[in-house]
Amino acid sequence: MVRPKMPPQIFRLVLLTLAIVVTYIIARYLLTPASFRQYGFYRGEALVEHMSHTPVFAGRKACLECHEDIQTKLSKAEHKTIGCETCHGVGKEHADNPDVKLVKIGDNGCLRCHEASPTRPSWLKQINPKNHYREDKCVGCHVPHQPNEVP
Amino acid sequence: MLATIGGAIAGLASLAAARTAKAAVKKVFVATSAPKDYDASKHKWLMCFDVDKCIGCGLCVDACKTENHVPQGPTYFRTWIERYIIKKPKPGSDATRGEVLVDSPNGGRDGFPPTTVPREEILKSFFVPKLCNLCERSPCTQVCPVGATFDAPDGAVLVDPNYCIGCGFCIQACPYGCRFLNPDTRTAEKCTLCYHRITRGLKPACVEICPTEARIFGDLKNPVANDPIQAFISKNKVHTLKPHLGTDPRTLYANLDKEVR
Repeated sequence: MVRPKMPPQIFRLVLLTLAIVVTYIIARYLLTPASFRQYGFYRGEALVEHMSHTPVFAGRKACLECHEDIQTKLSKAEHKTIGCETCHGVGKEHADNPDVKLVKIGDNGCLRCHEASPTRPSWLKQINPKNHYREDKCVGCHVPHQPNEVP
Repeated sequence: MLATIGGAIAGLASLAAARTAKAAVKKVFVATSAPKDYDASKHKWLMCFDVDKCIGCGLCVDACKTENHVPQGPTYFRTWIERYIIKKPKPGSDATRGEVLVDSPNGGRDGFPPTTVPREEILKSFFVPKLCNLCERSPCTQVCPVGATFDAPDGAVLVDPNYCIGCGFCIQACPYGCRFLNPDTRTAEKCTLCYHRITRGLKPACVEICPTEARIFGDLKNPVANDPIQAFISKNKVHTLKPHLGTDPRTLYANLDKEVR
């Protein structure tokens, strides 16, 4: 039996193609991150990276660890849906170390929600700061934690 | 020749082993503050809005910027609030409504200044909070050429900042305008549903801060007692933004007006 001899130019072409394919496979293997395709066409490690950021706001649960009494009062009042940090600002540092005091809230804190605007829904109590008891601060008459107990 | 091929295969095999070992070592020894017991496949997050409850205080926008260290400046928002003012139709016209004015000064972060439209000309007016629509078939994921944007198994659409090349295709693809290019990192950025918070059992910052519960956030796979999400869906007639685009958003709106885009 006579084996047909492969022409040398074809042999070189096959060799070159093989070399390119192998180089591509190795390069792809080395350049693709290990967690790629763990869940899909992306780096699975990216999920962990997103998770590892540190939260800034402490959350209501952290406040309740010490201030349960305020929550009891608040839960009966109209302001029950409001989170602590909505008015009091970022409380993470205060939650970690109670010596760090929270920022004082001024009248602007109240007006941010209660200033009259035609766009605000009608169920929200709104005032015009120009003619609503300008002399005193909001807390002079109103108690923020129990707003419906005061006239 | 055979020896060379054998050597190459052996080399590759040892490389693979070294890589697996490196990943294992990294997993154990590199300190990460990520919560360990979170399994993305066991959750499905959902965001709902009640337009009638939004009072336009803008505290959510401010909270989002603080929580996620979003660049300052009026064009970088992961969530923002729009004010819609629909004027009365001109006297004598047979239209149901007049001109529609939409504005969002600094995303609503500092609240909204009084409108110049007189009260008697306004037919109705309302605020619409916006963020990532959590599309089931997200256009932003489809166009990403490098696999940097993806739908996580728990429904969050995230960007891998280490993989993003900043080409901006996704920013053009998002029909809701929810993405922007971070000027510091030069990568695309968007709402992550506060992924670092929800995986720790906290609520996203905007939901935590919202004073009127206009934003409701929950997990479809783990309903809790008196689940706010289930109550929201059963009590309200819900709608999504731009349903004709077939993106199938999971961000639901109650009491939405047809003028909202």
